[in-house]
Amino acid sequence: MRLAWDMVRHRFAAFAGTFVAIALGVGVVAGSTTLWASSQPETPQRLSATPVLVHSPSVGDNDDGYPEYRSWTIAEAAALTGRLAALPGVTAAIPDPAFYVQRVVGGRPTGDPETALTEGHAWSSAALGGYRLSAGAAPARPGEVALAGPAPGSRIDVLTARGPATWTVTGTTDGPGFYVADATAAALSAGVRLIGLTVSGDAEAVAAAARSAVGTDGTVLSGAARDRLEPESVTRIRWLGAQLLIAMVALGSFVAIFVVASTCALSAAQRRREIGLLRAVGATPGQVIRMMYAETLVVAVLGGAVGVPLGALAAPLLAPPLVAAGLEPAGFAVTGQPAALAGSFALGIVVALAGVWTAARRSSRVPALDALRDAAVEHRAMTRPRWILGVLGIAAGAALLIALPTMSTDAQSSAMMGAAMLLLVGAALLAPVLIAPLVRLTTWPWRRGATGMLVREGTLTGARRVASTAAPVLLTVGFAVLLTGTVSTISQSAGADEAADVPAALVAAPDGVPGLSDAAVAGQPGDSYLSSHALVTVGGTTTRYGVAGTDGLTGVVLSRELADLPRRLDLRFPDGTTTTLPVTAVRDDAPEAILLPRDLVRRHDPGALTPAVLLDGPAGPATGLRVLTARAYVQIDIDEEGEIVQIFLAVLLALGVGYTGLAVANTLLMATAARREEFRALRLAGGGTSHVLRVTSGEALLAVATGTLLGGTVALFCLLAARRSIEEEIGQAIELVIPWGQNVAVALVCALVAVVAAGVPVLRARAGSR
Amino acid sequence: MTITTIGTAVRLRAVSRIYGTGESAVTALDAVDVDIAPATFTAVMGPSGSGKSTLLHCAAGLDRPTGGEVSIDGVSLTGLSERALTKLRRARVGFVFQAFNLIPALSAEQNVALPLRLAGRRPAAGEVREMLAEVGLADRARHRPSELSGGQQQRVAIARALVTRPAVLFADEPTGALDTTASREVLRLLRTAVDRHAQTVVMVTHDPYAAAHADRVLLLADGRVADVLDHPAGAPEIAVRMARLEER
Ligand SMILES: Nc1ncnc2c1ncn2[C@@H]1O[C@H](COP(=O)(O)OP(=O)(O)OP(=O)(O)O)[C@@H](O)[C@H]1O
Ligand SMILES: [Mg+2]
Repeated sequence: MRLAWDMVRHRFAAFAGTFVAIALGVGVVAGSTTLWASSQPETPQRLSATPVLVHSPSVGDNDDGYPEYRSWTIAEAAALTGRLAALPGVTAAIPDPAFYVQRVVGGRPTGDPETALTEGHAWSSAALGGYRLSAGAAPARPGEVALAGPAPGSRIDVLTARGPATWTVTGTTDGPGFYVADATAAALSAGVRLIGLTVSGDAEAVAAAARSAVGTDGTVLSGAARDRLEPESVTRIRWLGAQLLIAMVALGSFVAIFVVASTCALSAAQRRREIGLLRAVGATPGQVIRMMYAETLVVAVLGGAVGVPLGALAAPLLAPPLVAAGLEPAGFAVTGQPAALAGSFALGIVVALAGVWTAARRSSRVPALDALRDAAVEHRAMTRPRWILGVLGIAAGAALLIALPTMSTDAQSSAMMGAAMLLLVGAALLAPVLIAPLVRLTTWPWRRGATGMLVREGTLTGARRVASTAAPVLLTVGFAVLLTGTVSTISQSAGADEAADVPAALVAAPDGVPGLSDAAVAGQPGDSYLSSHALVTVGGTTTRYGVAGTDGLTGVVLSRELADLPRRLDLRFPDGTTTTLPVTAVRDDAPEAILLPRDLVRRHDPGALTPAVLLDGPAGPATGLRVLTARAYVQIDIDEEGEIVQIFLAVLLALGVGYTGLAVANTLLMATAARREEFRALRLAGGGTSHVLRVTSGEALLAVATGTLLGGTVALFCLLAARRSIEEEIGQAIELVIPWGQNVAVALVCALVAVVAAGVPVLRARAGSR
Repeated sequence: MTITTIGTAVRLRAVSRIYGTGESAVTALDAVDVDIAPATFTAVMGPSGSGKSTLLHCAAGLDRPTGGEVSIDGVSLTGLSERALTKLRRARVGFVFQAFNLIPALSAEQNVALPLRLAGRRPAAGEVREMLAEVGLADRARHRPSELSGGQQQRVAIARALVTRPAVLFADEPTGALDTTASREVLRLLRTAVDRHAQTVVMVTHDPYAAAHADRVLLLADGRVADVLDHPAGAPEIAVRMARLEER
């Protein structure tokens, strides 16, 4: 251990690559996991003052794995509230109906449309958040409201599912939300799903009593369990953020292992002589392995010691951008996560040891006699395991690509990613073989000049060294082409698909609101439907379906996919009421799974909104409405999705390119530094520094070109294979879109880093020799 | 010549070393028999390419002969695993090369302690310092190899080779890269080790003056022992024998 420490201290340059890779890797992982661990579900603030909450019963999980709840009917809720209020220790049982309301200022709807859907509440429920009036009086009649901000007596414009209204402010609250008289709230909301209990004494005792009182009519939540009441929209945002963070952790660790492995391999090759000497004076192969592990452990501990604080400090700085990008909910704050930091530190050590593994094993086989040989000569470019693994990787990757069309759609994308990784790693392993012919080809025009000759011969004899530089470039360019190509191709074809589904040329679409109110729709010529949902119970299982309330219907009309449902449907509406209706028709072009008469939907879902109106005449003016072309309307969704995908792409590519830069720079720094003698000889032979620089830059560019070419080719093959399988499946030609600009940029960054990294040691050597 | 198996520090029997195969095969050692008596100083001489280094590597267990048997301190090296061979080398063999004997990252002191540490032994207090003092470098204990002269580096290497009190110390042209004064110092050290500590030393050299320090000179030619010179009278005599060998 002592020996390892001295080794590391003495030749820190050789370990710098490992150190930086581990420090950055641990930093990325520590930051990501801290953010991820900080993003835990929370009790919504407006329920935080309520120790015991009763939720309406779940009817099972939906396809996304979230529980699906039904509402209590007004009568059920009233009965339950009465039962709960009578329990000992309960000071009040308060039902919490929520409804859509949005403030309109200067004719423009304000605030976030999505959160506005549940901004309206009954006045009595203000107590659930511990909110009080700071001025004025509670709302008592329709058209009266209490909220934070405006002074009592003022009038505000609002928008509800019915349309625009002007309300009188009766009181000012010290918490967010619009509070109206309880009866008004009940009329505007679609059923009650939550009853809060304020208690005196022990909350857990009350919760237990409530549990037996409620039985199967609901779920009683107390303490930390109340966190489950986080709105699904917020949970979804956290989920999206978690996807990015998980990808960052995975990529960060994978690339860190890669960089550490290539750094260790190179430094082991350069230290062959030293290791031979150790073997000569009596180090067993096991001791050599242990020494290299110990060295790497020292570097990993140092790297971790830098990386952990780096990640811990960076995490809070990343929170605001994540919130802005819609990847963490508003109000997200980073908390200290010692477990995440400790885990990242440990991961750094595991990554480092995994990276040094092959290099250590190889070094342990160095014969003692190598102490007497000069290390600079590369014996063989390819070792047998390298051949075997390389060919296996290519073969397995190709087999996966060929088998692609036979797989299920779900398996295809992961199979393609797997194939790409196998092919890229295979190509990286076989790169030394491919480098010789590529070098001959590319240096052909310059074969007569001295520089051309030196670059050519240098790269041909140092194929392995060139391959170490080309490998990270290969990986990055490969993944860049693959990712950008996939994303662009999918968004291009998806856009075309959805636009085809929108028949009318012009659409009256929501503008700053979650959907169109009845009043806004009333003025528009054209087709529209009310968007709602219903729970359908068939043979004991309950499923939630989208419902469209349309004109000119009697009974239930089903879309084609639901044609198998029974002819009489048991439906439960958002307001909690149940009914059984006859199925009268099955339709192909239904906008939702189930079609119901509009007034039926309106009656059972007072909060239902209209997604858009397909216009067949000039649109009338209305608040929160704008007219768009069908294409632009569809594009809104695509852009929203595309924006997040672009963020994902940008972050992952930046991470990938960053690490490549590191790997390339490190390899070249080490390699060029080790070639000082060679370059001194070149200078003695009459070459100037510019000559040496030309040689190092030429070689670096050659390596980058090789990596780019190989990576790009592999990725292109993967994309073509993926396109073929998708085309076969949907029976329609797809245009392959590859954003060349982005990929060329990636390659150029690699080239720039490579030239600089190869040149710096040369210039430093010259500065030193003067 | 009487052969005593007991009390032989190194014994080579019909040792051959052939590099490569087929047409390009080079016979570096051709069925060599050599016995090195304990507490003696043996010099190995011969023209370039005669197999001196190969002989030394095979005798020291750094290289495996293609035929014959090598024993060190009565232990046969034939059939030993790499690990066992390493341990034997660590315990019974010391080694000094022409150059690059020291680990650049370690101080003189640490380099000397290395074989002990590799054997899993904590050097006793003063043990390493004493060794350095013996080669006259007590004041350079904390210096790195790059801060030492070539002669000093060789002396550290000798201290490193002797610290385990090995059965044999092998040295391959230890003075090859040194000037006369430094050479003399190194040779004096080796001679002292033999005389004072009954150390067995085998040294390859090109220099008759260096060989004159030995008790016995083996002259190699074409992979065979061509001549043996016991108790050489001095450098001139060795030079004459060498010249005669090269003439043949
Ligand atoms: N690794 C090797 N591979 C092939 N041939 C070798 C190898 N090492 C030595 N030889 C050959 O074996 C023969 C003996 O080499 P050796 O190094 O033992 O000579 P030497 O007497 O030490 O010479 P010098 O005085 O020049 O050091 C030479 O012909 C040499 O070319
Ligand atoms: Mg030699």
